[in-house]
Parts: sequence; C-alpha cells; structure tokens
Amino acid sequence: MKCRSIAICAMLVAAGCAHSSVVLLPDEDGGHGEIGIQQAEGKSGETVLKDANSRATLAGGQPSIRPLGAKGLKPNEAALLATLPPPAKGFTLYFHEGTTEIAADSVGTLEQIRAEVAKRTGAEVQVTGHTDTVGSSADNDVLSRRRAAEIVNWLTTKGFDRTMMSAVGRGERELKQATADDVSNPANRRVEVLVR
Amino acid sequence: MFSRGTGHLFLVSLAALMSSPAFGEIGRIKSSSGVATVQRGTETLPASTGQELLPGDWLETGKGGRISLTFADNTRFAVGPDSRIALKKFEYDPTTQKGSFVAKVERGSIAVVTGRITKTRCDSPTVSRCGGMQIETPESVIDARGTRFIVTVKR
Repeated sequence: MKCRSIAICAMLVAAGCAHSSVVLLPDEDGGHGEIGIQQAEGKSGETVLKDANSRATLAGGQPSIRPLGAKGLKPNEAALLATLPPPAKGFTLYFHEGTTEIAADSVGTLEQIRAEVAKRTGAEVQVTGHTDTVGSSADNDVLSRRRAAEIVNWLTTKGFDRTMMSAVGRGERELKQATADDVSNPANRRVEVLVR
Repeated sequence: MFSRGTGHLFLVSLAALMSSPAFGEIGRIKSSSGVATVQRGTETLPASTGQELLPGDWLETGKGGRISLTFADNTRFAVGPDSRIALKKFEYDPTTQKGSFVAKVERGSIAVVTGRITKTRCDSPTVSRCGGMQIETPESVIDARGTRFIVTVKR
C-alpha cells in the first residue's frame, strides 16, 4: 500500500514537471540569443538552447530540446508576450555652445519625448547632460547638469511628475566624438534622454 | 522669522529627495491586473503602476493576475497568473553597464527580454559568479545570454 502511493506520487510529480520549460524566441529586431541550462544539482554539464523557437524541458532530468513546430507557443505563453512593457526609447537633444539653449533642429525632439512619456504607464525618464571640451572640466560638470535640469524642468511644465525623472551631468567625460581639449563640437553638446 | 526659514529649508530638501529615484531602486512596475502583490520582508504591497522594486522583493500573482515591469538595465519582465518570483539579486553599475541579476521562478510563468546586464561576461566557467543574468527554477539554473524567452514552472 505504501509502495503504491509512492509510485502514484512519483507519477504525479513526473507529469507535473513535464510542463516546466524554457522557450527561446527570436529577438524583436531579428537574430536571437542563447540560453544555458544546468540542473540544480549541478552534476551534469550545461545544455545550451541555441535555436530560436525551440523549447527545453526544465525538470525530470537532463533537458530535452524540441522545436516549437507548427503549433507555436501555447496560448498562455502568447498572452504573456503581449503584456511585456515596450522597449526603452532613447533621444538626443543638442545645445548651443556654452548654454542651456536647445539647438533649433532639436526643438521637435522635445515634443517626441513628451509624446513618448505620455503614452507609457509608469514611465521613467533618465536625463544625462554632456558638454564639449571647451572650458574647464569643473565648469562643464555644472553646465552638463544645468542642461539636464533644463529638460527635466521643461517636462514638468508639461505636467509630468519629477518623481518619474532622474537627471545627471557627465560633463566632458563621455564625448560622442573624441576631440582634443578646448574644441567646440556640436555633437558633444547634448542631453541624452531615455524613456522607459 | 526663524520658523519660516527652517520651513523653507525643509521644502528644499524634500524636493531634492523627490527628484531622484529611491535609494536602491532596481526597477518599477509598469502595469498590473488582477491579484498582484509585491512581498517585501513581512510587508505586502499592491503591485500598482509605478511601484519601485528592491532586491529581495517577491512578485506574486493569483489566478488571472499579471505584472509587467522593467529594470534599471532595461530588462523587461511580464509575469503571468499564479506565479511566485523572487528578485534575489540585482547589482548594476550604470556607468560600466555591467552587473549581476539573479531571479527565481518558484512557480508560474515569466516572459523576459534581457537588458544590458547580460552583456556582462567573464572567463570563469561558474555561471553563478560570473555576473550576467541567471534564472533559477526548482530543478535548474538558466544562464540567459539573451534575449527573449519564456520560463514556465508547473508544480
């Protein structure tokens, strides 16, 4: 009797575990990654899931790999993909030399940023200011922070809460185009905005 | 006069606090539906939009519950119904864009699009000490080298 109940339990466990799996999918922009699988006991080596649209088992011994086939994903898996948040989106705004004045051709980008923040639920905005190498690095740290603050302030005038935003200045540390010191460069006078 | 001055100071420091994300924040909830909570120690918080997440938090959904969230390195998660998922470790340096992310799927399902953290590589064969992103399940450890995948744990 005891023996039989153990056998039933073992069967139930095996049946339940057979559903645990990992599915590797193509990336959103083509290509695909790779998944390494090790059993928790760590005795056997790593199994590598290399092909997109394939499934590996995650229980009941060594992983076995199968292509998804014509049936594709299970309905609950497809539903899961549909609720992934959208990818983060980056924008760059350019500035006049030594100022927090936005260059004329970047004014339109402001509106794009506003629209992107507005359409996301729980949006976060990361604002990073940069300068070119004209002037001292200490002055450029201040200027880069002021450029970032300018964008944060503009967004707050559009009704967005400061708690969703963070701003930092990187001065002349992260040049977009490498230059010698004291070189005016429009590509380096910028604020990078990441909307997540 | 004195009290007006200190009141002003207080407002300024409060504004400074509010303009940056919470210390230790690793990600935020973007949306949720149905029964969905964040377990933090003995606290149970509703998994509401904008909720900040900390290392060690558990994400829990009931029947029909869902949570969507993003992390500081741009990793994205969609958590399905009847799930229990631990954010065991999240260390990320935004300057070097390297770090280590360990999550555990105790039960349920999760769709993942990996972020910058998976670009952290090292020569050691021991994946758990190598940084990057690992997802533990009851019987396995997944080393996620990118980019889009779904993990389901039925118990």
